[in-house]
Amino acid sequence: MSKKIGDVILDLQNISLRFGGVKALTDISFNVREHEIRAIIGPNGAGKSSMLNVINGVYHPQEGKIMFRGTERKKMEPHMAARQNIARTFQNIALFKGMTVLDNIMTGRITKMKANFIEHALWFGRAKKEELEHRKVVEEVIDFLEIQHIRKTPVNRLPYGLQKRVELARALAAEPTMLLLDEPMAGMNVEEKQDMCRFILDVNDQFGTTIVLIEHDMGVVMDISDRVVVLDYGKKIGDGVPDEVKNNEDVIKAYLGAGH
Amino acid sequence: MLYREAGQFKTTYAADQQIFPIRQDRLGILVLLVIAFLGVPLLASEYWFSAILIPFLIFALAALGLNILTGYAGQLSLGSAAFMAVGAYAAYNFQLRVEGIPILVSFICAGLTAAGVGILFGLPSLRIKGFYLAVATLAAQFFIVWCLTKFPWLSNNSSSGVISTQKLIIFGHELKTPVEKYLLVLSIVVFLALAAKNMVRSATGRAWMAVRDMDVAASVIGIRLMPTKLLAFAVSSFYCGVAGALYAFCYLGSVEPDGFSLDMSFKILFMIIIGGVGSIMGSFLGAAFILLLPIFLDIALPFLAGLFGLPFASETVSHIQILVFGALIMFFLIVEPHGLARLWQIAKEKLRLWPFPH
Ligand SMILES: Nc1ncnc2c1ncn2[C@@H]1O[C@H](COP(=O)(O)OP(=O)(O)OP(=O)(O)O)[C@@H](O)[C@H]1O
Ligand SMILES: [Mg+2]
Repeated sequence: MSKKIGDVILDLQNISLRFGGVKALTDISFNVREHEIRAIIGPNGAGKSSMLNVINGVYHPQEGKIMFRGTERKKMEPHMAARQNIARTFQNIALFKGMTVLDNIMTGRITKMKANFIEHALWFGRAKKEELEHRKVVEEVIDFLEIQHIRKTPVNRLPYGLQKRVELARALAAEPTMLLLDEPMAGMNVEEKQDMCRFILDVNDQFGTTIVLIEHDMGVVMDISDRVVVLDYGKKIGDGVPDEVKNNEDVIKAYLGAGH
Repeated sequence: MLYREAGQFKTTYAADQQIFPIRQDRLGILVLLVIAFLGVPLLASEYWFSAILIPFLIFALAALGLNILTGYAGQLSLGSAAFMAVGAYAAYNFQLRVEGIPILVSFICAGLTAAGVGILFGLPSLRIKGFYLAVATLAAQFFIVWCLTKFPWLSNNSSSGVISTQKLIIFGHELKTPVEKYLLVLSIVVFLALAAKNMVRSATGRAWMAVRDMDVAASVIGIRLMPTKLLAFAVSSFYCGVAGALYAFCYLGSVEPDGFSLDMSFKILFMIIIGGVGSIMGSFLGAAFILLLPIFLDIALPFLAGLFGLPFASETVSHIQILVFGALIMFFLIVEPHGLARLWQIAKEKLRLWPFPH
């Protein structure tokens, strides 16, 4: 791989997150560089998803500092993260079940649409033009992820693997600069996994999107990520390029010993 | 092969994003509108206008309002009738207190007033959901009716809050006959229904549905929950408010606060359950169904009883009505939560394949 990895754009410093008595994250620091694929791994309950939730403002850590593009981030709501071009997918599919594939993906562009509800109601002003413009972008995403055939299908009628792909499409529709993926390949068969890997690499390659990826499949992680951070019981136990992490004593003990 | 999209290839996204993308639907709507605007006024009797068609349109509008809130934005409300009351009394007061205000402007102002009140009572939705929110809107129902009875100013000091609406004058012409009122109501309802359709097929509607289906994902995508929910309350209450103004001005002519009871709110809720939650057309189907069923039973039951030579008491009709309603609502809640509109959809899908089974 001959891509350019840039400067640090996200720097997490001494993050601690508690839910009542449960320490989900304890004093975790790591950074993400522009254009890289950064994996977060660790056994079940290690705090991986919580980490993503901290990054895009769903959870607010009690301690620690988040530097995004060089400035310290104040406590913020998830919709603000979207406006800073951070998109994500969820571990448990979080599609809008009552909507079609197309509408789900169109929703991904919502921060870029400016028309207000009166323009929509009367179908004048920016309403029509925007719907068409954004439809074009959405169609590009649909082509990119090869889901043309299910465009008009209600998402709840799709098989699991395709739903995961639609969720990725919805995230990509926002043209994010940073994409957070929470186990995008969980529950997929080998073929679907290969497709998903290819899409992730293509996104990273073609659009230079920075990717933070949680994944349990070690083969995949070691294959596609540039750097890996390892969590266990809410603590960081390893951080580095795949080879380093693979040979790290603590990681082998804690992570691989846990039955993975 | 009467109804199908095959052969209608969309070559542009614009064609695919029309308000009614399928040609037969477009035709169907057009035919319906022609019948409603030209055919019905020629054919229907005075009784039909004032007892069936006008209330049907008004309740369809209220159901549409509730459907925007509940069906599209996923916020349950039991206060629809109260928001209608706000609209009715607001329109009355604008006519009464603002010199020379055109009636249509007071209808709009009535809608806006209801929207404001709707936002106020929508505030709890930012913290609570589902059942608890329903209870909060129940508070709106009782509080608003109480206010209208309690503050004589709102009804111009009339006893027990009864108001008699002012004349309906549009462009210097007074609407007196049922057919004129029908045409006014029809125009307003058609306009607002198309506006609703436009909202739900664009970003506004997608934001509502996103909040309905999965609010965490919606906010992660960049949807601000608070304005989105409050907008749904505002638009919904606007629709109910206009419906209330029409109810007072074009249907009854004289209303009292207690007329906008919890019963009426439930009736509107049943309309969307039976017609179809999250469907514009369902609001119309549901309103037609709920209003026509009693009339139908009124005629059918004594007839059936007569047929079998059974004794028949008139109060039995209302008992059976309640039973039938209960059974239907349970049926739709359990078997077909998307109501008549969904059944219609399934029929269309079947028709699309007909006469070939596959
Ligand atoms: N909203 C919450 N409320 C309470 N506890 C939570 C919440 N979210 C996470 N936790 C707790 O935080 C810990 C870390 O959970 P998290 O979901 O981040 O783990 P994970 O590494 O993603 O695990 P998995 O591999 O199973 O997805 C767990 O003990 C979990 O129970
Ligand atoms: Mg997780």
